Amino acid sequence: MTIETLQSTFEMHQAMNVEVFYWWCTAIMFMIHTGFLAYEIGASRVKNALTSGMKNILTLSVIIPTFYFFGWWIYNAFPNGLIPIDASEALPWSLSMGPDVEDMGTGIFFAAFALFGATTGSILSGAVIERIRLSAFLILAVILGSGVWILAGAWGWHPEGWLLTKLGYHDVGASGVVHAVAGFFALGVLMNLGARVGKYKDGVAMYIPPHNLPMSLIGLMMIIVGFFGFLGGCIIFNGGETGWTTIYGNPTNLSAFGFNTLMGFAGGVIGAYLTSREPFWTMSGGLAGIITVAAGLDLYYPGLTFALAASGGALMPLVGRQLEKLGVDDAVGAVAVHGFCGFYGVVLVGVIASGYPNVADLPNITFTGQLLGAIVMALVGFIPGYGISYLLKKFNALRVPPQVEVLGLDLVEIPAKPYPETVPAYKVVENTLEPGQEKLV
Amino acid sequence: MSSPITSWEGATTYFTFADNPLAMAVCLAAAVGVFVYLNVSIIRHEKAVFDKHLSD
Repeated sequence: MTIETLQSTFEMHQAMNVEVFYWWCTAIMFMIHTGFLAYEIGASRVKNALTSGMKNILTLSVIIPTFYFFGWWIYNAFPNGLIPIDASEALPWSLSMGPDVEDMGTGIFFAAFALFGATTGSILSGAVIERIRLSAFLILAVILGSGVWILAGAWGWHPEGWLLTKLGYHDVGASGVVHAVAGFFALGVLMNLGARVGKYKDGVAMYIPPHNLPMSLIGLMMIIVGFFGFLGGCIIFNGGETGWTTIYGNPTNLSAFGFNTLMGFAGGVIGAYLTSREPFWTMSGGLAGIITVAAGLDLYYPGLTFALAASGGALMPLVGRQLEKLGVDDAVGAVAVHGFCGFYGVVLVGVIASGYPNVADLPNITFTGQLLGAIVMALVGFIPGYGISYLLKKFNALRVPPQVEVLGLDLVEIPAKPYPETVPAYKVVENTLEPGQEKLV
Repeated sequence: MSSPITSWEGATTYFTFADNPLAMAVCLAAAVGVFVYLNVSIIRHEKAVFDKHLSD
């Protein structure tokens, strides 16, 4: 065997390793959606259980093709802002967008990014359960999952994105570009969608118990499993001598992510338990902790990660309850978990890791750059979320009629029953509790 | 013929209709059509079931 043959064989195996890595990251990311499915079904009342599940299943099915139609192009075309650069190879009629013997990268990166997009749709999905029209939700999910977040991704999660090249923005685990964007988009939608019937009495928030809290808890733990695929997919597996880098080109490795993902999970759970004592918030704390530290996952000392994640986990239920008092009926706390912790996580990098260098002549990480980046992420999510849901509301296309909501969406829309041999869904049309009574449930 | 290749020797892009832009456009239009039809179908379903229950 000649040196040339050996080199060619080695390079082929390197390229195959890259493919294998992202293949399994994508597969594991599906566990996020398995988790969201269980989580949202469980969080719904029994009269809406299957509708919530159907919404979640269809979220994936509409974001994947639309991400192929235009999402991948947006990522490649808009790193400079709102004026596109030539990215014709990412258009769906390009020869790069299909099987090619010599291209072992495009398809697998498209797949991973499509699943990131689907995650944003699922974040929105939980917040709006039990009263949004399926048609309106799918429109919003496509705009978020195949448009809005990936525009933010082009700006802050691209080697040439302007947030990186101008501000030194650092967000390796997508605290901002995925979680803050999706959380603030959800906030905009919730402001127009309004609360569920019976959620508020005389301005006081009632407690609407999940019909299956254990299912929700298991779902949340599945999302944590999926996060390992998600965060693995955030690392660049380079061929040649470079090895692992972040999406910004600085060296990192799975070991760094291993330390800090686990410490982030643990800190978040403990923080949320300390301020809530409640299982739904406590389990959500695992997500909140990881999201809080995701932006600096490659940089933090694990002891610091644990403390930061605990702070995010502790603050998250307080933010959720405050939003509830302000009239925002977020059924699963998505704005607090993803919006607040995503924003907080990006800013924390500026507080803690200011002065870290970026590669080549890119600007260093700064507090100002991170703060501005976090504000950009929040606005990129909130403005379209609010604006498009406002238009849908004006056309009476956002929310189901109140009579349908009281009857339950499953009875009206779904030709199946979730638990046919136990409680008929239509028998349980209301289930709300006064403040404080939830402790007896 | 949907195949753009006649041999695997030296093949690069090999997906169906890769050498036929018109056929690719038809396939893409069909894909977009399925997506659009889904949305229309859901809107019609919602209208029908909401109207039915509101009139009961």
